Amino acid sequence: MKELRQAVEAQWPNLEVMIGWGWGFDLLHGRPLFVRKIEEVAGLVWNPFCVQNLTGYLAKIPAVQAEDKAKKIGVCVRGCDSRSLVALIQEKLVSREQLMVFGLPCQGTVDWRRLAAHSPLVGVKSARIEGERLLVEDSRTIREFTLDQVLARRCLRCTHPNPVVYDVLIGEQVAPRATSLDRYRDVERVEALDVGGRLAFWREALDRCIRCYACRNACPLCICQDRCIAETRDPKWLSQYMGLPEKFLFHFIHALHLAGRCTECGECERVCPMEIPVTLMKEKLGRIVGDLMGYEAGLDPEATPPLLTFNPAETGV
Amino acid sequence: MAVENAVAESGPTIRIVGFLCNWCSYGGADTAGVCRFKQPTDLRIIRIPCTGRMDPLFAAKALINGADGVLVSGCHPRDCHYAVGNFYARRRLEVLKHFLPFMGIDERRFHYTWVSASEGQRWQEVVTRFSEEIHSLGPNPGVDSHGLKA
Repeated sequence: MKELRQAVEAQWPNLEVMIGWGWGFDLLHGRPLFVRKIEEVAGLVWNPFCVQNLTGYLAKIPAVQAEDKAKKIGVCVRGCDSRSLVALIQEKLVSREQLMVFGLPCQGTVDWRRLAAHSPLVGVKSARIEGERLLVEDSRTIREFTLDQVLARRCLRCTHPNPVVYDVLIGEQVAPRATSLDRYRDVERVEALDVGGRLAFWREALDRCIRCYACRNACPLCICQDRCIAETRDPKWLSQYMGLPEKFLFHFIHALHLAGRCTECGECERVCPMEIPVTLMKEKLGRIVGDLMGYEAGLDPEATPPLLTFNPAETGV
Repeated sequence: MAVENAVAESGPTIRIVGFLCNWCSYGGADTAGVCRFKQPTDLRIIRIPCTGRMDPLFAAKALINGADGVLVSGCHPRDCHYAVGNFYARRRLEVLKHFLPFMGIDERRFHYTWVSASEGQRWQEVVTRFSEEIHSLGPNPGVDSHGLKA
């Protein structure tokens, strides 16, 4: 945390604005912080409760801009965020030259819903990760949780904890929590069902959907915003009818528009108020694209996403 | 495989949506008609300017709302009227075909293929075989048993 603040202060002459995380309403919640004055750098924090993917602020309107073009926009990225950033750079939605990227190797972020499900915490005084344990000190006692108990699902299947693009790296590189083989365990669990069982699974999950579109709004790559076909009247893809077909179709729209682009950062699932495993659909698409076209999203800024290009030599596809 | 010139007319009503490229498969279907090849009557054809226009969501929406099958057909690869439209389509449709079963929709209800304007015979084969497949699967349960297609 100190190291991050020092690094930002050292770079401040080149920066107009810095996007990072600050404290939320308690120690278990971080929130996005936009630093515009050097005094505000002291408000920057970096801990396992900094859960938001900040790269969306660079591309989605009103995007953070540097008015002085000689200066840069600073942004904090974890491993997953850096892949979103690569995807945005690939599609020319942000310009790499304009950015000063502070890379933060990440041990995983805490899903506060999982944490709260284990035990009620009152008056939290401190919370930190030590090794494979999360220690939370509340008004009564110090509680210990294993990381497997409290990390977000996206972090348990994380293969890229270290940023793939950065200008300044803060802290030591960390080992990935999952391998490319076991990151699709949850997808495989659904695939183990027969086709009727899968339909029942998604019926149950998507029946909870209230079509608040939080998943779409949080997605750093869903950049159509007001022009999203889920809401336009012409073409009218979705009606106000609140049955399952509309919900299925909305999630098809969201997932298929991310096919070959989604970096599986898990923001959609994190923000879902109904706890629907929304990222699961994108994970499956990521796997399909990997199997068919040998592509993994968000690693190479020079690559073209596979569905935005073609290969005449392919025959099986 | 020898293709019978008729399809059984008994059984439940089956609705198949066909998305055909204006330049090849739509012409191929026309050729089949001009040659008076017998074709199943379950297909409702929608003409699209190119398979590159084929948004996978067209197929998804049809299947979600209870269409029994979706057939997409365009120019053979390297024969696209617009040079490359079907190359893009091929990737998108293949991804969709792998994604549908994950969401609980039988991938056999979705088929894409290539038929040129002169291949009336091939068109008859494609559409007959697909229609038989859908008949053997029966009506699409849809995602919502209480929904639009109760």
